[in-house]
Amino acid sequence: MTEPLIELRGVGKSYANGTQALKGVSLTVARGEVVCIVGPSGSGKSTLLRTLNALEGIDQGRVVVDGIDVHARGTDLNRLRTHVGMVFQQFNLFPHMTALQNVMLAPQRVLKLSVNEARQRAEALLAKVGLLAKADTRPAQLSGGQQQRVAIARALAMQPSIMLFDEPTSALDPEMVGEVLDVMQTLAREGMTMCVVTHEMGFARAVAHRVVFMDGGEAVYDDAPPAFFAAPRNERLRAFLGQVLKN
Amino acid sequence: MAAEPQVSGWRRWCWHGVYALIIVALGAGLYGASRRVDYTWRWDRLPQYIVSTEGEDIRAPFDGFVAFSADGKTLTVTEMKGAGTERYTGFAQVLVGQGDLVFQNDVLARKPGIRPGPLLVGLGLTLEISALSLVFALLLGLVAGLGRVAHNPAARNLAATYVEIIRGTPLLVQIFIFYFFIGTVLQLSAFAAGVAALAVFTGAYVAEIVRAGIEGVPRGQMEAARSLGMSTAQAMRHVVLPQALRRMLPPLAGQFINLIKDSSLVSVMALTDLTKAGREVVSSTFSPFEVWFSVAALYLLLTGSLSLLVRRLERRLAHD
Repeated sequence: MTEPLIELRGVGKSYANGTQALKGVSLTVARGEVVCIVGPSGSGKSTLLRTLNALEGIDQGRVVVDGIDVHARGTDLNRLRTHVGMVFQQFNLFPHMTALQNVMLAPQRVLKLSVNEARQRAEALLAKVGLLAKADTRPAQLSGGQQQRVAIARALAMQPSIMLFDEPTSALDPEMVGEVLDVMQTLAREGMTMCVVTHEMGFARAVAHRVVFMDGGEAVYDDAPPAFFAAPRNERLRAFLGQVLKN
Repeated sequence: MAAEPQVSGWRRWCWHGVYALIIVALGAGLYGASRRVDYTWRWDRLPQYIVSTEGEDIRAPFDGFVAFSADGKTLTVTEMKGAGTERYTGFAQVLVGQGDLVFQNDVLARKPGIRPGPLLVGLGLTLEISALSLVFALLLGLVAGLGRVAHNPAARNLAATYVEIIRGTPLLVQIFIFYFFIGTVLQLSAFAAGVAALAVFTGAYVAEIVRAGIEGVPRGQMEAARSLGMSTAQAMRHVVLPQALRRMLPPLAGQFINLIKDSSLVSVMALTDLTKAGREVVSSTFSPFEVWFSVAALYLLLTGSLSLLVRRLERRLAHD
């Protein structure tokens, strides 16, 4: 874990209605690092994640991903996004396509792979998430957990160097959370750089190299999991952990 | 959610009976009303205006003299001032005699055969105008609809202005403007002006349908596509529009049925569509009731088959 792959410096962001979603957040993520971002709802975790691939603009500061100044004028966002994969809370699979087509679409259209190359790549990835048998199934016929695994395969098909997960298990029935976390854990073990916004403290504890606690638009606390969960020296984090770990 | 209780069994048939009874009563009322105004129904006159068995008229191509061959089976017209001659055979009924002087467009004879009557010809023109306008309205509506959801202020304002102007003025007035002003300036035929007016009118409504269809696709779809590195155009084309199309189909079908009906207004500009043909047939038969009922039935035939077609397409596009 050497060079920083993601670097945020004093990132601020306000919405049109005046709420300040981010108040000067600074954060670095090294290559191969898995960082979990936790915090109460409305604390700005998702907004922070979405500034990394410019789905969300910023008002202050700088976001550098893989050496590219994300929010600078003239940045080729489409190119940047090809190496920053993203997985959404609501999966956002394309409902009019089969699982295989979902995974093939971007490699074909953006990377201009041939149908055969894209198919091979997609099939390999569906096999990796354990869903090759469902290749020709439409999302509506898949369970939530299966949909999310297809969504992960779809993001991986662009062979990104960074994966962003925006509450990937929050919309899932409890019995399906495990299968998605397993896939993510495998990815982490393979050395993928990951930023994960999550409420799954077990996952954060087991897989993350670092856990960041956000509250009120600020990154309040940032530490390795043992220290993060054992003896937080921060009042707000203690209250938050007391809330979540109680359940 | 509690489901609406289904009416079942014999009760259902009772209500079908009530429906039939009301329809019969309405028909009887209509009949009674027409008796009261002392109107003579002459339905027997009508079929020939739909399918004519009178055969085809042979008309003089120029001013000239008529001559028959010895067996009477060939008719020759010789131009009065010039060397043109024209021969006709295979006619059944002759309306001129040997050596007659005829003028251009005079009917010389009739060929036997079945051909579409004026109402059917009018229906054809209605169909042609509607189909052509439909294609252009779709293109125009797609462009304007994309303009409505674009980030570019110029595109957005242009599209909004177009939609507002068209939706805020009556179609009949637009048709007059297209016929008298734009048609004159651009030297358009009545047909082209009619198609243009209908396409521009319908395009504005299609634009709103396209906009609503696109806005109805969850934002996450665009975000997911963009996060994979696709451009806005690629995301539109491969992800958003295919989904929007399915939502757009029912309102589009309604709009195209409107288009067919609205096309009757082009009869004001010397185009013999179904409505104009109806008016002409009325003036030659003096049977307005029968003619307008038939015209309505023919429109219904067109709109009915269109909605049937769309329903089938919808079922094929359904994916969940």
